[in-house]
Amino acid sequence: MAPVKITPKRESLLANIRVQRFTSGKDRSPYFDNFKLEVETGMTVLAALRKIKDEQDGSLTFRAFCRSAICGSCTVRVNGRSVLACSTQLLPILKDFRKGSVTIAPMANLPVLRDLVVDIDPVIDKLAKMHPYLIESPERVPEALERESLMSRDELNAFDYMTDCILCGSCYSACSSVAADPSYAGPLTIAKAYRFSIDVRDSFRGIRDQAAIDQGLWSCVQCRKCIKVCPKDTRPADTIRRTRKLTIDDGIRDTPGSRRAKAYVADIKRFGQVNKPMLPVVVFGTKGWEAIEVAEAALTKQGLEPTRRVCKLPGQEGVEGIFGRVRAIEDEEEQGR
Amino acid sequence: MTRIHTADAGTRTPFRVQPEMSGRLTYAFYSGCCFQGADARFFDILTQVFGRLDVDLQLIPDAVCCGAGVIEERSELASLAINARNLAGAERMGLPFFTPCSTCFNVISNVQKRLAEDPRLHDQVNRILAPDGIEYRGEGRLTHTLYILAQDVGLEKLGERVTHPLHGLRVGSFYGCHTRNPADIQGYESADNPTSLEDVLRVLGAEIVDYDTRDNCCGYHVAWPNADLSKAMTGQVLQGAKKQEVDLMVTSCPLCFKNLDGVQPKALAATGRDFQLPVLYLPELVGLACGMSPEDMKLDFHVVPVNVRL
Amino acid sequence: MTSPSFAGDQDKVGEPQFDQKHNDITNVSSVGGRGEPDRGEEPRSLSHAMLTYDILIVGSGGAGLYAALESRLEEDLHVAVLTKVYPTRSHTGAAQGGVNAALGNRDPTDTWEQHWFDTIKGSDYLADQDAAELMCREAPEVVRELEHWGAPFYRTEDGRIAQRPFGGASKPRACYAADKVGHIMLHTLYEQGLRHGVDYFNEWVTLNLIHDGQRCMGVTAYSIRTGRLHTIQAKAVILATGGHGRIYWRRTSNAYGNTGDGSAIAYRAGLPLKDMEFVQFHPTGLRRSGILVTEGARGEGGHLLNVLGERFMARYAPDKMELGPRDLVARAIETEVREGHGGPDDELFLDLTHLGKDQIIERLPQIRQLCINFEGVDPVEEPIPIKPTVHYSMGGVHTDINGCTPIEGVYAAGETACVSVHGANRLGGNSLLDILVFGRRAGRHAVGYARRIKLGPMPQGAYDEAERCLEELMEGDGKETVAGIRSDLGQIMATKAGIYRHAAGLEEALGDLEHLKDRYRRMTIKDRSPVFNTEMLAALELRNMLTLAEVLTLGALARTESRGAHFREDFPQRDDEGWLKHTVARLGSDGRPALSFTPVAVSRFAPEARTY
Repeated sequence: MAPVKITPKRESLLANIRVQRFTSGKDRSPYFDNFKLEVETGMTVLAALRKIKDEQDGSLTFRAFCRSAICGSCTVRVNGRSVLACSTQLLPILKDFRKGSVTIAPMANLPVLRDLVVDIDPVIDKLAKMHPYLIESPERVPEALERESLMSRDELNAFDYMTDCILCGSCYSACSSVAADPSYAGPLTIAKAYRFSIDVRDSFRGIRDQAAIDQGLWSCVQCRKCIKVCPKDTRPADTIRRTRKLTIDDGIRDTPGSRRAKAYVADIKRFGQVNKPMLPVVVFGTKGWEAIEVAEAALTKQGLEPTRRVCKLPGQEGVEGIFGRVRAIEDEEEQGR
Repeated sequence: MTRIHTADAGTRTPFRVQPEMSGRLTYAFYSGCCFQGADARFFDILTQVFGRLDVDLQLIPDAVCCGAGVIEERSELASLAINARNLAGAERMGLPFFTPCSTCFNVISNVQKRLAEDPRLHDQVNRILAPDGIEYRGEGRLTHTLYILAQDVGLEKLGERVTHPLHGLRVGSFYGCHTRNPADIQGYESADNPTSLEDVLRVLGAEIVDYDTRDNCCGYHVAWPNADLSKAMTGQVLQGAKKQEVDLMVTSCPLCFKNLDGVQPKALAATGRDFQLPVLYLPELVGLACGMSPEDMKLDFHVVPVNVRL
Repeated sequence: MTSPSFAGDQDKVGEPQFDQKHNDITNVSSVGGRGEPDRGEEPRSLSHAMLTYDILIVGSGGAGLYAALESRLEEDLHVAVLTKVYPTRSHTGAAQGGVNAALGNRDPTDTWEQHWFDTIKGSDYLADQDAAELMCREAPEVVRELEHWGAPFYRTEDGRIAQRPFGGASKPRACYAADKVGHIMLHTLYEQGLRHGVDYFNEWVTLNLIHDGQRCMGVTAYSIRTGRLHTIQAKAVILATGGHGRIYWRRTSNAYGNTGDGSAIAYRAGLPLKDMEFVQFHPTGLRRSGILVTEGARGEGGHLLNVLGERFMARYAPDKMELGPRDLVARAIETEVREGHGGPDDELFLDLTHLGKDQIIERLPQIRQLCINFEGVDPVEEPIPIKPTVHYSMGGVHTDINGCTPIEGVYAAGETACVSVHGANRLGGNSLLDILVFGRRAGRHAVGYARRIKLGPMPQGAYDEAERCLEELMEGDGKETVAGIRSDLGQIMATKAGIYRHAAGLEEALGDLEHLKDRYRRMTIKDRSPVFNTEMLAALELRNMLTLAEVLTLGALARTESRGAHFREDFPQRDDEGWLKHTVARLGSDGRPALSFTPVAVSRFAPEARTY
């Protein structure tokens, strides 16, 4: 085969890069600077920032280290989405938004120190409260260094995906619940707690269950933005649901969230749907009656007849059987462990 | 007129995506659980509006609540199994699976995706369904009000049906989270820069107003464990839109609608704000633009009065 | 000033100790710490905040964190890690392949002796055999210790640590976890550090070592966040700042921060550097970023093409083609570029398109994603643009097997150090092992030392000297910029002290470097903000790189042979008679490096030709 000369496909586009600026202790509020830049094929958001810093404004401040999406330093928001600057191509974003301009802002939900650099200590502090380390179980971890602990592939796979987490904070920046309640732990901290709790070599699960609940396990709204932005696809919101299950399995059943979960399963089994009018009482106990009465009064005002039950959906009978068979499989798996 | 009728569960028809010769579109309809109580009116509104657009809905027989992800807090396998069962219902009808509820869309999309990626899990789920004579094949398409309007019916046809364009109306559009996050659930459009909602609104003649909290979460799903947090989130969304002086907000998600409209007074009271911002569920506004009356669209049922000249 | 005792108040949560008048130290996290040092007498002579530790570790990669953990396990000692990033961001995390340990989990016939031989052969016989022996013997223990701490290594069928084959290894002994083994090791060490109360000074930069010529006293360092300078008193300082691949600036897979800070600090303090001329290149880094496209792509049948579309390896290694040894492939690529067969950006191409979309997606999904994310190129559609890229620094601070240097209490470990176990060329999977074994040993030795001695008085001048250094950077006429000098430095090193070297080029490079140093003196920092001044940080890093570049180039010029990663066009053969010895460089009284040579420790394996 005769060699064919290679002509690399390279495009470029003159774009406006709009960057949020701010220096704590100096500026009263953030403002934006605009930089004109020829954006080429292959240019990452980080490369663009570096180019601006090197050639246009040496004071432009951002974090960056490994450039290969493993250190988690360079998280910023590009057109609102939390991303790693180093692994995000700029040209496709310019094309997606069709504006010839792109806005780069620091991570949300954290105090800005300067320009694109935020103070991430609040996340680290929250993480530390989750006991994010293995506390060796003497049953699994040998005393001496002559042998490793034995752990099956399935046991590892249960949490292996979570060890991809690079603590970049993208999920924290995107988190709806942190935005509304700064005391909430945020996705990565709960996910990290889960990673250790289900490690068979660990012995600290109960403590972490409570730590997660204390830091807002049930405050996650399941908007799933964290899943969208995670550069390592660790799917934190899914893990938060699993952590909730873990606490329930471990016997912590007096939380509003665990009561909701229980009601959903029971209702779907029984009616094929959730009896929403009754949820306030199911979840909050007698305190919930007030909410029900308010809702019923509103319905009456609109000329509708309130109801405290839902109809049984036709054909839901099959569902009960499904739950039964699922339960049997899960019991069997439990015994296998 | 739209016809809602139960399909014959026994007959298998080939899967159809393309409109029939008549130009009508038919979907297997899965309502989810959000159309309960006063919200039952949305059945009626949706069928009226879709009727105008030559869209027919056939109820999926035996469908049950998707569990909203909440049942996964007890059992992921149960969620996979009952939703595979829901999807199998549409497969048997040979029709695309349509749910107006964004959360159902999200949860069931996710189930579809997980079963597609993991053949072992797919088999396990089918073994669970087998005693009921149900098999999930993983063939169907799943869609949402937004994409039926913007893509299946299409903007051109929609434009043709608009009789009362909403000129001069300043609208804040709100997708809600569950048709957007995560990005991989369906791929109907860019997850970072979706335009289907705005495309539809523009065809209706409205002016789109951008606002800070457009991508926020309405807080619906945290209401039961943490009502205060939910109200705080609802309040933030509303305040962001209010700041840009929109006439009203429109959302394509019926659950967001419940919070933004139904919880609005409490949410604003909790944050010490006092204003009223009308919120419409997308099909309502489509209906109005297509010549249906506020009575047809049952706007009286809104908690926040829709006192906007349309 | 009296020497503080370190009885430790076990009830208090550990906080670093500092001068009450200036309790504005920020960004020191001491989560979960226990014990607090006695405050001792306030050092009145110093007008700035003063911190005191038994053991201070500079750098938070695997070596630093292991050293910290090893010393902090002795609960009576106060241990802090000072790092210019956050610990989990250190470059150890980027190591993908594996960590060598002859566990015999996959092949029970594997032994540490075979690992030892592979290491020595890989080093082109320049590694010290006693040091390499010790590393290979201790390997199983450190890997297991890490496993006991929770590191999620992948598993064999029977639940033991999984191992895989690796280039240059005679048995499958690289313990791994997907392509993230460095990452999981780094995180495990950080997590256990949190658990055991190590203090972390995150985003602090170390400027200088303080010592009296005999003994270590501490460091001067400044907080990036506040811009404030501090002296930190410590009985022992362990330098573990990683390699200096960034000397080659754009032509490296290294992190931005791999600027050889620890080696440069040690060198300025009068400590010897060893074997600095040995720098490992990887043949296939991405064009723009230098990020590695691993051997896997070639292993799956990828072709290396020049811009003419020729599969040029046929001219250099007709048998092995693309699968020849790294150094050979890197040199072939370099030759093609020299002959004008490179692309518009002097790049060559790794072509996978002939494998077809399905095979690429099925077999090389991570490499495909890497190319899309970092280079904007989908290998399904077009060839991947690549360049050889600097990957690892074999040379570093001259230490013994305990990390000790000629100044008591100053240690070095990991890529900063040169024990030497890598010699002229590091064996794959040994870099992660090096940081574990020697990080631990340095920590252990420092514990004994810190227990034995008392803190001495701090010399007056240290703070002032560091302050002057920072002030000087604010002077100058401002025509020169960090970015400009740095970029030229990379270019000079890549072209004149890179894959191919010869006397004339290296001499030219030395002249160029003098010129760069001149320019550096005239440079000024335009960013005047004390808050997170990254331009200041970059200037300090550049100073370190210029220092090391000179040592490296001089060593390369002196070594008139080709060995391992060092290839002299004018001396293409290995010369065991003349050069089976280490290059040692010290800062001379004239401010230039003074070279001397020490013999290589040869205990078991006589040098042979290195063929694979």
